[in-house]
Amino acid sequence: MTTTVATPATQAGRQPQEVSDRTRAENRLGMKLVAPALVVMLVVTAFPILRALWLSFYNYSLTAPEDRQFIGIDNYVTALTDSLFWRDIGMTVIYMLVTVAFELVIGFAFAMIMHRVIFARGIIRTSILIPYGIITVVSGFAWQFAFTYQNGFINGWLPFVSADFNWFGDTVPAVIAIMVSEIWKTTPFMSLLLLAGLAQVSEDMIEAAKVDGATWWQRLFKVILPNMRAAIMVAVLFRALDAYRIFDNIFVMTAGAQGTESISFLTYRQSIEQFQLGMGSALAVLLFLSVLLVAFIIVKLFRVDLAQARGES
Amino acid sequence: MRKLALPLGVLLVMVWCLLPIAWIVSLSFKSQEAVSNGTDPGFLPLDSFTGWENYQTVWEDEQFRRSIINSIGISLIATILSVALATLAAYAIARLEFRGKRFVLSTALAIAMFPVVSLVSPLFDLWRQFGLYDTWPGLIIPYMSFTLPLAIWTLSAFFREIPWEMEQAAQVDGATSWQAFRKVIVPLAAPGVFTAAILTFFFAWNDFVFGITLTSTEAARPIPAALSFFVGPDPFQRPAGLLAAAAVIATIPIVIIVLLFQRKIVAGLTSGAVKG
Amino acid sequence: MTHSSARSRTRRGRAGPARSRVRRGIAAAAAAVLATTLLASCSSDDGKPVLTWYLNPDGVDTLNAIADQCSTEDYDIETELLPTGATDQRVQLARRLAAEDDTTDLMNLDPVFVPEFANAGWLAEMPDDTITEDTLQGIAETARWEDKVYASPMWANTQLLWYRKSLAEETGLDMSKPVTWDQIIDAAASVPGATVGVQGNKYEAYVVWINALIQGAGGVIVSDTEAGIDAKVEIDSEPGREAAAVIEKLASSSAAQSDLSVSNEGTSLPAMFSGPGEFMVNWTFVYKNYAPSPENGITEEQYKDLGWARYPRTLPDEPSKPPVGGIDVAVGAYSKHPDFALEAARCVTNTDAQVALAVEAGLMPATNSAYDAPELAEAYPKDLLTLFRESVDQGGPRPKSAFYATISSALQSVWHSPESVSDSTPKESAEFLKNVLEGKALL
Repeated sequence: MTTTVATPATQAGRQPQEVSDRTRAENRLGMKLVAPALVVMLVVTAFPILRALWLSFYNYSLTAPEDRQFIGIDNYVTALTDSLFWRDIGMTVIYMLVTVAFELVIGFAFAMIMHRVIFARGIIRTSILIPYGIITVVSGFAWQFAFTYQNGFINGWLPFVSADFNWFGDTVPAVIAIMVSEIWKTTPFMSLLLLAGLAQVSEDMIEAAKVDGATWWQRLFKVILPNMRAAIMVAVLFRALDAYRIFDNIFVMTAGAQGTESISFLTYRQSIEQFQLGMGSALAVLLFLSVLLVAFIIVKLFRVDLAQARGES
Repeated sequence: MRKLALPLGVLLVMVWCLLPIAWIVSLSFKSQEAVSNGTDPGFLPLDSFTGWENYQTVWEDEQFRRSIINSIGISLIATILSVALATLAAYAIARLEFRGKRFVLSTALAIAMFPVVSLVSPLFDLWRQFGLYDTWPGLIIPYMSFTLPLAIWTLSAFFREIPWEMEQAAQVDGATSWQAFRKVIVPLAAPGVFTAAILTFFFAWNDFVFGITLTSTEAARPIPAALSFFVGPDPFQRPAGLLAAAAVIATIPIVIIVLLFQRKIVAGLTSGAVKG
Repeated sequence: MTHSSARSRTRRGRAGPARSRVRRGIAAAAAAVLATTLLASCSSDDGKPVLTWYLNPDGVDTLNAIADQCSTEDYDIETELLPTGATDQRVQLARRLAAEDDTTDLMNLDPVFVPEFANAGWLAEMPDDTITEDTLQGIAETARWEDKVYASPMWANTQLLWYRKSLAEETGLDMSKPVTWDQIIDAAASVPGATVGVQGNKYEAYVVWINALIQGAGGVIVSDTEAGIDAKVEIDSEPGREAAAVIEKLASSSAAQSDLSVSNEGTSLPAMFSGPGEFMVNWTFVYKNYAPSPENGITEEQYKDLGWARYPRTLPDEPSKPPVGGIDVAVGAYSKHPDFALEAARCVTNTDAQVALAVEAGLMPATNSAYDAPELAEAYPKDLLTLFRESVDQGGPRPKSAFYATISSALQSVWHSPESVSDSTPKESAEFLKNVLEGKALL
């Protein structure tokens, strides 16, 4: 996986003076080329998050801007000692763990099917890309209507629930409904990432294992999975961080009722609905830090080497 | 049995992917009365079939039409600008040695993981001071920031595969780095650029958080936000049939893009994220 | 391995015609985008001032007609539609006003948000004679904040007890006398399939219900509301517990609708004429909603079976306090044309406009003179008009506080879902509300 980019600078047969000129020119050009992208990326992220950090030390309401008051770390103390904050963090982690686990298993099955299949590839690709491309809000609506008992079909199709079972009446079923929408929409992405990983597993190795008498499960766990470890880990990292930020489906399907709220939704509500810009900013900072923590844990726990996965080791 | 497993699997994948689509299409043909009175539950519109009525109502809705124009316009502009900047950056990353390369890459990675919701409040505050609130640029700028990482990854992956000998040949012939880039590499990179553009467009088209927080009227409100605020004739009832019709309309561009470019999208997704 | 496959892919994708088609496509798209941007930016440029009126989506056709009629030689009134929910409407307007938007000229405000907006300095003061003796008491109160008038009531809503006459007969409940919540829940529970329809979703109308129950028992949620966050929280009281008892009773009764915890004004409608029917508290629009038509499938006979009575009592010997809602029209503080906007606000809330809204859209008037108009007597039964008017006049408004949204959300988060309400709910919600107002708890 090592792709050494042969740059002109490393090529032999040139005078040292020329080399350093070229290097300097290349350095300048490189910086010039990345500068616009870098600026745009930072303008909308670094500056606002620093501003959020500053505002988070204030009691600041949109309805009373002149009453803004410096209160130190009070907002953080309030948030971190509040049961709602921890309940939402817990709920967010549950969303993340459950959806990613399901997506990984289903996505892998899909990837295997797509990898093996020789007919109708275009049709499969098309159908799998539609959930990927569809608007999350649309997915949320589709599943919400499917789960409502007045109009939906789910209660009619599931033999073990009564016809007027209200999925959005209690935490567990409501969370299940939200997860179904999330899993449906994002499994295709997972399966495409895994498909790319599958393509890296050598057919020869699988054949050799087959000749040695390995069963299908043994081949799966001893040959295929270890060989696509990097792809799996990158897919898990990406999806987990995405799932940790879950917002759209909750907004559309329950608006946070029945304890289905995630940490993103809590932050949104504080700053947008409650107009509490100070507390909202403190939560934004905490959300940002918690995402970093989740990323750190996944990278350390699974020893994901992004550089290696990117082919830059 | 073994022979049947694969076709069965294919069928399963397709049912999984298309069932909810079929459901929302089916719902869009149910009459609003049947939906609000719950008289025709079930998958297909049986005695509540209304033909194109819901589509007509939605299409006549000024707000929804405006949101389509907003979404198409904002997403396209953000895509074009984002891909243009990403092309420059990705070329530099794939091709040149320069200080700060790692910084750019880690920034891109960090932004891809950034919790969007944590930005809405400070961004709203900034935008209202700059007069960008509820305007097209007010959405285009954040869309660019959040699509750049994806575009840079996808593009740098494509750029690594380009036969650079040709560029070097051009350089040997006396062309500068810039000329070599423009005359030789740009045409070679076009397919990759195009893939990045599709993925970027999908992101912008899908965005919801910025859409609801940085707009407040049809001046800039994109489709996902318009859908969530969609108002039917009955203010107390979510207009399921109309919403379904609107959702189908909002999905049509995605389906067209997928149908035309499925091969490229798959290539872009897999190379961008895993190898890129 | 992947390298070679990727390379071949790149090469295949490099075919000439495809590339140029793509390039042309992008160019065309960019041109189209530029064209639409230019068009959008120069649409309202003919010199005559344009007032923008933000509408909540209720009776929009009538409101658009009113906007046309109230446009003058000096200015045109254009309308913009707000989202459905009261909370979303508040958020959209507040964000525009916080951005000191000078195109927010007129707005339809839910009365409960007038104090918050006025307190934030977002509303222009109106002349005192905006509110007169003619204005119904329940809605007049909502337009004032700290002794000044900040809004002009356009229409006043109230809730009644709607019921199926045949169901009431079957249960033997005497509807000619005031009924209590206990009575209607017991009556509905005595007939299999009969229900009591309420608004129990986690949203504003659930607070409307809770507030009406508490006021019906002689209490209030908070008092001394002009003290802002220092208001006195009164929900942990006997009236609060009476209210909780009613909700608890309904939630555990067979009379509860199975979607109680997500029910809204729309979800409880179908139960009226399917099965044995229901008792339902709901707003005035219900009468027009059930008017027989091929679309809703309601027959004349069924329509005759629709009965109405004053909002149920919480206590047997305490008159009920029907909920009051409706819409006030306010003028934005940053409007470029405040004088025109004030004039327009007066016009869009005049008697003619109120009568039109009542007759065409079922949105009932805020003044006595509009109620007396002959058109209303034609459109509604006499006893129903009397009941509407009396309910608004004697109704109980929700707490008038600049922090109403906070109070409401705090209540929702403790009292929802209805199934979880118990004797201890009032105490819990009082503590939570105090903490939230003091900034010690997250909402």
